[in-house]
Amino acid sequence: MKRRISKPGEFIKGVPIAVWLLALVAIPLIFTFIMSFYSSSGLVIDRTLTLKNYKLFFTDPLYARILFKTIRLAVAISMLSIAAAFPLAYMVSFKVRRGRNLLFMLCIIPLWVSYLVRIIAWRTILGNRGVINSALMALGLIKEPLTFFLYNQFAIAITLTYICIPFVFIPVYTALEKIPRNLLDAANDLGANELRTFYNVILPLGLPGLVTGFIFSFIIALGDYIIPLQLGGTQGIMFGNLVWSQFGFAFNWPLGAALGFILFIIAVAILGLTSKFGSTEGGFLGE
Amino acid sequence: MRGRGTGLKIYGTLIFVFLYFPMVIVLLFSFSPTRTIVGLSGLTLKWYQELFQDPRLLIAFWHTVMVGLCAVAIATVFGTAGAFFVTRVEFPGKGVFRALVMLPFLLPGIIMGVTLLIFFRNLNVHLSMFTILMGHVSFTTPLVMFQVSSRLSRMGPTYRWAAMDLGANPVQTFWHVTLPMIRTALIGAGLLAFTVSFDEIVISYFLTGTWMTLPVYIYGMMRFGLSPKVYAISTIILILSLVLITFMARYTGRSADTYRVRKRDAG
Repeated sequence: MKRRISKPGEFIKGVPIAVWLLALVAIPLIFTFIMSFYSSSGLVIDRTLTLKNYKLFFTDPLYARILFKTIRLAVAISMLSIAAAFPLAYMVSFKVRRGRNLLFMLCIIPLWVSYLVRIIAWRTILGNRGVINSALMALGLIKEPLTFFLYNQFAIAITLTYICIPFVFIPVYTALEKIPRNLLDAANDLGANELRTFYNVILPLGLPGLVTGFIFSFIIALGDYIIPLQLGGTQGIMFGNLVWSQFGFAFNWPLGAALGFILFIIAVAILGLTSKFGSTEGGFLGE
Repeated sequence: MRGRGTGLKIYGTLIFVFLYFPMVIVLLFSFSPTRTIVGLSGLTLKWYQELFQDPRLLIAFWHTVMVGLCAVAIATVFGTAGAFFVTRVEFPGKGVFRALVMLPFLLPGIIMGVTLLIFFRNLNVHLSMFTILMGHVSFTTPLVMFQVSSRLSRMGPTYRWAAMDLGANPVQTFWHVTLPMIRTALIGAGLLAFTVSFDEIVISYFLTGTWMTLPVYIYGMMRFGLSPKVYAISTIILILSLVLITFMARYTGRSADTYRVRKRDAG
């Protein structure tokens, strides 16, 4: 790879995207960072700089507890998404020939289906008078609706897993497709059975895609606040809800800015890991 | 290596059921005269009729279309310019620059929502269509840029060089050579951006005042429980996104074989 620097005149092409980057990403972030050092008293924002918000985050155990709970749930969701998406990607990539395109499309269509509609669907399925309960009652298995489906971490996990599956599928599928097929023949010729080929060839070569998928779904689960609001109930308060509520009823924008900035740092650190260990091409946006 | 893998196929089928069952439920509920699914007694279009009698919902729908179209138009300009910049201009730290541009799409939406809300409030910009639109431009631009830049780098610079050698000036080269070659990528990216913008709520929820888009309006409806009307509008959205995705797949030529190992073009 040769590295050269283009002529200064060429850089004029970068003006529009640089303006966009400054106006909608960089400057808003800087404003947020500055605001995180303000404090709020009642409805007015006190503009004297203070470390109060960060101190609160590091001393009040509430914040650490909810952050930890959120991370734990996000890890669980990523594992579940991998458990669902990896075999699917393996199947579409290696095991089917006829109808491959259709299966592939079926795997990625949910990616672009409305987020809100999917939330509505899961509320319908898990609700007290929802699909599962009605079905169980109609079958005579239960008399009263079961209440443990909705308004807890289980409901959040199932809905977010549902949303994350295509985000894991695509990088994993991309990685599996890049495995040269003659490697499998070679493994076969050398006497490896299917299981052995899977562990010694497919899994190591598919790992970058797996890491990317894990991190995508982790990030999605980490920052979501709408699904916990809709399906989480009181025991499902996540870090995103803490951030959100500072701009809603709690009305403490400086604290919200600090919590948002902390979330930003965590997300960027994790995304940084992807570029190090994951596949460089996420693939899910590309052609 | 092409074993039967019956267990895998059963597992795969179950996952497909998991993926599509919820969508079918929404569809069924939108046609159900009662609010339950068991004992589905006949079908009705009543809820769809009610949608058209809700002027606020129709306005919200129109708002969403408007925001989507404007966001696509702006994102296409900025995203395409950005794609040309990152594929054709060399400078140190380009990797970091690309990553920065991708951030609004990769970061959790809540972060974009918070930062943009704070930004607009500090500048005394009132929450309006403009703020929502800027929110949508923030995450659709990287989407367009990524699609167009992957097409550009796949094309390589040789066609452009050939055109230049034959005496075309940069404008002619762009208009007669480069643009026709990236046209389908542009259309695909536009459709994709519109689809994403059409459903967006996480960022919009922060940036919405009284001027509402459809997802924010539906979200408000959901506060009073899930009415059959919610299912009817959800079904319409579902069908609309399926149509958009189908077109998008056609234009970007995305299929199962897209990711097969292929020789990388130079440049």
